[in-house]
Amino acid sequence: MFKPRFRVPIVAAMCVCSLPLLRAQSPELPPGPMQQKVTTSCTECHEPRIILQQRLSKAAWTKEVDKMIKWGAVVDGADHDAFIDYLSANFPPGKPPEPAVRAVPRKKQTGSSQ
Amino acid sequence: MISRRDFLVGVPVGLAAAAAIHPLLTWAADQQGVFVPGKEGMIVRSARFFDLEMPPEFFDSWITPVSHFFVRNHMHEPSTLDASTWRLTISGEVEKPQTLSLADLSKMASHSVTNTLECAGNGRGFQQPRVPGVQWQKGAVGTARFTGSRLRDVLDRAGAKANGKHVMFHGLDEVPGKVPPFIRSIPIEKAIDGDTLIATRMNGAVLSKHHGFPARALVPGWIGAASCKWLSEIKVLEREFDGNFMKPGYRMPNHPVKPGDALNVDDSHPITALNVKSVIAAPVDGSTLKSRALHVHGAAWGGETEITKVEISTDAGASWQPAQLGREQSKYAWRLWSYLWKAPKAGEYTIMSRATDSQGRVQPATTEWNPSGYLYNAIDKVKVNVQA
Repeated sequence: MFKPRFRVPIVAAMCVCSLPLLRAQSPELPPGPMQQKVTTSCTECHEPRIILQQRLSKAAWTKEVDKMIKWGAVVDGADHDAFIDYLSANFPPGKPPEPAVRAVPRKKQTGSSQ
Repeated sequence: MISRRDFLVGVPVGLAAAAAIHPLLTWAADQQGVFVPGKEGMIVRSARFFDLEMPPEFFDSWITPVSHFFVRNHMHEPSTLDASTWRLTISGEVEKPQTLSLADLSKMASHSVTNTLECAGNGRGFQQPRVPGVQWQKGAVGTARFTGSRLRDVLDRAGAKANGKHVMFHGLDEVPGKVPPFIRSIPIEKAIDGDTLIATRMNGAVLSKHHGFPARALVPGWIGAASCKWLSEIKVLEREFDGNFMKPGYRMPNHPVKPGDALNVDDSHPITALNVKSVIAAPVDGSTLKSRALHVHGAAWGGETEITKVEISTDAGASWQPAQLGREQSKYAWRLWSYLWKAPKAGEYTIMSRATDSQGRVQPATTEWNPSGYLYNAIDKVKVNVQA
């Protein structure tokens, strides 16, 4: 375990490192007028990969967005319908499935953290 | 205990600083894949939270190595886990509420169960029309030997009262936003079954963090969600726990519903034991084969039942032949199976597998649609192109 005296610098390091890291290492949501707002609201709790694998009707996306708002996602009321339009346009039932991504050994990883 | 240092072995320096208090960041992704220490080769359905699926090629071992065992997390893994300070409380409808340490548990009788653990949502990705959730295909399932104390012994020590009809589990996973905590309950009959455990070991080793260190419930034959990880609280209740992950979560409609319909919670029941099911590990769907002689193999399981038969069809279901069942077996564990087949000529073939269990349940041609895609168990099929 880390000893307590290391915790403050570690918290500082995390604040500096973690958000850029998340954005750099995680797949991105597709471009569109709502891309940034959906990214900000949803990736507070989970990465975009969870969204990228869904293939849902507009009715099902509406239920998901409303459930997530109930569970703490911050979505401006004025953006509610645009969120659903963006998600149902980009991740509809007929779209081919997202390719599977594997966990890889460190040596194959080429991220900026190397 | 698992120290942060051990957990972070192999993590790039830039990540390590962030991950020190945020272990969720011990991954890094690029276009080639995601770095998840100790889980190389797994399909990454999500890296935050971790949802890792075993790919078909790892269905080659009766006991699944921990490195190949699927991970299903509903929320963040605990950021702090210390074996020396960990405690398990037992309260509710009991005469003598308990607070147990790992040392206390280790003094109780030890019992091992080889169990096939499967996520209730395994196969959700095959359900049509599609439903929301982690889009698992074949591999949110694995078989391991779990060791620990019997839950029954712990309940006896606390003196569970006669009005205690359900046993609730709560773990240390960390809740994001306003998500309801992951709390579920099982009926007392299953809780006092001699094979229901508070497990501290998996395949002989101390539980890893992804699998619930330092202790998890192990409810054999039942959906994975019953086997709460990072267990810290057990409560004996008069009624089934009434929270999100019992209701509306993890429930099946009592009657078939039309695709697209919502769940009517008043006409539904909690999911308990697993379905009868087989999957084909090889050949892989869509593969081109250079030899006409083929070793078709996979695994079959039935939760609390025994697999009595696995049949293979190589003509898209027109005729079926028995597969050979693997020698290794245990009450709650899957059977590996294999079938040697020589394609009569080059061409396209659909190979199917169908399991039957000791209750006479037979894997169906199609599975009944349900709003969350639970317990998918349709006959498995792969298409291959034999070129030789």
